[in-house]
Amino acid sequence: MRAPTLILLLAIALRGQAGAQTVAPKKIHASVGRVFGAGTQVDTLSTAHGPVLRALRHDSLLGYAVVRDVRGKDQPITFLVAVDNAGRVLDVDILVYREPYGGEVVYESWRRQFRGRSAADSVRLGRPIRNISGATISSNAVTLGVRAALEDLAALRHDGVLR
Amino acid sequence: MTIRHVLLPILLLAAPALAAQTEPSTTVGGYGEFHFTDPSNATPSADVARVVLYLSHTFDERLTFRSELEVEHARIEAGGSEGEVALEQAFLDYRFSDRFTLRTGLVLIPVGIINETHEPPTFNGVARPAADHDLIPSTWRELGVGVLGRLGDGWSWRAFIVNGLKADRFSAAEGIRGGRQEGQKASFANYGLTARVEWARPGLKVGVSGFHGGSAGTDTLVGSGSFGAPVTVVAADARWESGPWSARALLVNVAVPDAERINSTYGSTVSTRSQGGYIEGAFDLLHLLAPGRPARLDAFTRFEKVNTQAQMPNGATADGSLDRTIVTSGLTFRPLSNVAFKADYQIVRTASGASEKEQFDLGLGFSF
Repeated sequence: MRAPTLILLLAIALRGQAGAQTVAPKKIHASVGRVFGAGTQVDTLSTAHGPVLRALRHDSLLGYAVVRDVRGKDQPITFLVAVDNAGRVLDVDILVYREPYGGEVVYESWRRQFRGRSAADSVRLGRPIRNISGATISSNAVTLGVRAALEDLAALRHDGVLR
Repeated sequence: MTIRHVLLPILLLAAPALAAQTEPSTTVGGYGEFHFTDPSNATPSADVARVVLYLSHTFDERLTFRSELEVEHARIEAGGSEGEVALEQAFLDYRFSDRFTLRTGLVLIPVGIINETHEPPTFNGVARPAADHDLIPSTWRELGVGVLGRLGDGWSWRAFIVNGLKADRFSAAEGIRGGRQEGQKASFANYGLTARVEWARPGLKVGVSGFHGGSAGTDTLVGSGSFGAPVTVVAADARWESGPWSARALLVNVAVPDAERINSTYGSTVSTRSQGGYIEGAFDLLHLLAPGRPARLDAFTRFEKVNTQAQMPNGATADGSLDRTIVTSGLTFRPLSNVAFKADYQIVRTASGASEKEQFDLGLGFSF
């Protein structure tokens, strides 16, 4: 029987500097699969900026992803940022939203605003990321979190840790 | 077919940190607003309108308690009629899934804009709009249970079953406001059903909401059954923002079809229909002067119509002074999104010409 050698293991805790809250592994799995496509292989790099997921297919590099928490009004919002080889956002995914109000940040119409942006671009609420009324705290928190993640990934790229 | 061609799942081994339970935690927050008011028909005054302590506790990943304890007008005294200490909300949330939350306790009625989102930095003008006081009696909260959910991209909804209202405390000027039970030994002689559906995308949110509930209590002269002497509130609202521009609008209709029986029983002058709403536009002056900074200086104008006696039952005559047109213009300076310094000038005109006034207001609001 052939060992499923292509199934790569993601065994390292996804506990970033912010300390990722409980998030079901299958959620990360689904999110990465959705962004990079089915059949994506993932391994985990342990870096100075916390664990970074590396997405590969047939030994070619598709990009990277990080799972982070930001604080909303009083609950952590767990999100994933996936970037391509050039450090541009492929997508932002809200993995777990726990607040009573402000859940509009999970909407694709809001998250889509980040696509194509990199650490070199402006990633700020208001300009150009538009707010959703009634979800200002969450919108701001996630926007700041995405920007920090992009800056960390850019720093790792600069340091040669990421290709 | 080799395994290489099979759609490969990504196997994520359950790492301890991922499987760890959310640590219980308690959060303290709050908000408040201070008002200075100088009306043309009375002496100027200043007031600690409200200071609210927000307390929440996270038991685990799914169970959270949240509460707001409010002090209005700074203090209460034994025997005094001023001031209030009250729970504005206190409920337990059970998050079944990302799309479905069960909420139980003293909940906010999800009607209009201000009732649910009432932190002072979120709205322009020192005082809340009159429609959010006399038509939608914010902060309107009742005891009950309900569900909150999200549907697809952009849609969310919530629906609750709560206690009914008390018709004996309805009034001409403030409509159903006095009839709220607010969690104090609330009578469940009547029930209320309330729901809201909302659609949002970046920069835009629109909602329709309603409340339908009985108000007769145990007084069979007024009505009987769980929905005796029904009150029906229907509202539509919209919030929009784009660059320096923002706008919001609200329309409300409150129907009390059995007003005649309520008036004959309690000697009141309740209308069968109250209605009103507002439209407000604002422009951020700092968007041009200091782009790239978080501070905002919004110049706004709100045009508002509120008539708590839009339609009267037999035996009652409308008081034209309660048919109000209110124009409020002013500035809101927000150094940060959760702190606001406010100034406005209000012009109140009435259908009868009585009780008209102009008013200058200053305010300070914050939330954290």
